[in-house]
Amino acid sequence: MELIVQVCVSGLLLGGIYALISIGLNLIFGVVRIINFAHGEMVMVAMYLTFWLNYFFGMDPYVSTLIVLPVMFLFGVIIQRIIVQPIQNSSANMKIFATVALSLILQNVALIVCKGNFRTVQVSYGMGTMEWGGIFISIPRLVAFFAALLSISLLYYFLKNTYTGKALRAIVEDHTIARLMGVKVQKLYLLAFGIGCAFSALGGVLLMPFSSVYPTVGIPFTLIAFIVVVLGGLGSMGGTFLAGLFIGVVEAVGGTYVSPALKEAIYFGIFIIAILIRPQGIFGKGKGSEEVGLK
Amino acid sequence: MRNNKLKTAAAIFLLGLLAVPLYFTSTFVLHMFTLVFFYIALTAAWNIPAFGGKFSLGHAAFFGLGGYTAAILYVKLGISPFIGVVAGTFVAMLGGVILSFPLVRLKGPFFTLASIAFAEVLRMVAVDWRSLTNGSVGINIPFKPSWLNLTFTSGAPFYYMALGLALLVIGLAWWIRSSSLGYHLRAAAADEDAARALGINTAKAHFMGLMWSSGLTGMIAVFYVFYNYVLEPGTAFSMDLFSLQPAMNGIIGGMGTVWGPVIGAIIMTPLGEFLRFYLGTIQQGLNFVVYGLMLIAVVNFVPGGIVSLIEPWFKKKKSGDSSAADN
Repeated sequence: MELIVQVCVSGLLLGGIYALISIGLNLIFGVVRIINFAHGEMVMVAMYLTFWLNYFFGMDPYVSTLIVLPVMFLFGVIIQRIIVQPIQNSSANMKIFATVALSLILQNVALIVCKGNFRTVQVSYGMGTMEWGGIFISIPRLVAFFAALLSISLLYYFLKNTYTGKALRAIVEDHTIARLMGVKVQKLYLLAFGIGCAFSALGGVLLMPFSSVYPTVGIPFTLIAFIVVVLGGLGSMGGTFLAGLFIGVVEAVGGTYVSPALKEAIYFGIFIIAILIRPQGIFGKGKGSEEVGLK
Repeated sequence: MRNNKLKTAAAIFLLGLLAVPLYFTSTFVLHMFTLVFFYIALTAAWNIPAFGGKFSLGHAAFFGLGGYTAAILYVKLGISPFIGVVAGTFVAMLGGVILSFPLVRLKGPFFTLASIAFAEVLRMVAVDWRSLTNGSVGINIPFKPSWLNLTFTSGAPFYYMALGLALLVIGLAWWIRSSSLGYHLRAAAADEDAARALGINTAKAHFMGLMWSSGLTGMIAVFYVFYNYVLEPGTAFSMDLFSLQPAMNGIIGGMGTVWGPVIGAIIMTPLGEFLRFYLGTIQQGLNFVVYGLMLIAVVNFVPGGIVSLIEPWFKKKKSGDSSAADN
């Protein structure tokens, strides 16, 4: 009994990071209408940045967010401007090719620059735990969960209450009408891609104290983020958050009780079943889902 | 008149290809040709669902299913690979049946995603199911040269088999594209809703397209596995080798056309090997960076692939010819 609670708690905390990364994807997806197959690579790049900042300057991973997040925001803006914008009006397949190519490039540039070794950041609190009612909670995971919760709340506030946020939501609802109402669509695409990248970068930074980075670390994150977005529903932040936690728990439970090697197979299985039963997501769908092929 | 010339040229070209093993005894040249034929076949098979606008990044699933079926039958039960080819094709088609559920229900990117997930799941199962697949160690095909074992002391038999496979799949792709199935798929690719409104059962067309594609991929895989003597989950279900590579060949050549995959495979396979040999040895991974940049360039500048560059020139010539004949 204690074990299952323990497992669920640790899965839930990890799920916070999945939610964070997935919300970044959901924003790019909803606003720019592009399937970013290189999303996991943003996590990877952010993890490497965190590692190098620690390696060369001894910077604490949490402090390095101050550098990594703006850099990754800018990185996202550049990608949108250089790679996505020229093919904005091409077919969905062309956009897939472009982002698949981008992920291939980023993975292999990482391999060239950083070699294939597993890299970790050594921090004093890396293995730290606290006990609460007989359950051990890893401190970096707890920090990650609350940081994720906080940043998701901030994004929610931004989208609901600021002019720019409302404009972004208008684009998610209907591109053409948003443009007709005078929303500067191109500029907001840049912003959305930047924010999306910064969110997945934050996920990467928060992962660093308790996991290692290598060039292909991002691939599962791309797939997880897609599963979470599909389960949670396009354009639904609450849904994405809950689905992120759900996948975290499923992974932890499956990894403990079935087989660690099959934990990924389990949530892929859930994904395939879910899109068959309820392709519009568990928590409904956004207006643009038809356009990007989610019916 | 022109048609006859074309036929003669094709026949001479084919005879030339048949004679290659007689003149080139270098294993490298023969291997290169064999590899190109394999990739032409794989790309042409991958391309069949693309007639209907469905873009898969999970064909490694069918490759692995076909290859593993034949290898397990041969190594564990001593069943000849010629029966293994039939079984492998059949099992790969079963995989196609499973993937057809998301295929029929999901459009564009979501189908692509489901196909990646499908191949990944199978790879993990192959790693985990040690009693059947030997896990990540993989299966070695014992070297017992005989026709029945599909094992040879020279490269020539595989050269001819790969050539035969390439011709077979191109022929089938051409036949499918000009059959009613091909028209249904192309109508679905152009406008799914309009096609359905006209009474086309698009779901059935997509399903049939995937059946052809998965079965052929499984069949090619059996020959490829016996050509390489070894099979392990990381290669058999490899995203890079058997999902991404055929897709890339198809895109660069021209997706959804008959000759696009052929042109793509002819250009990309030697280029890939070249990049792997020269760049890959200088710096591991550099070849993939070049690949990625090429892909982005193609998407930006030639979205229709190389075929779209050649076709207008070809058509102009054709119409020029016919007007000359009219005069």
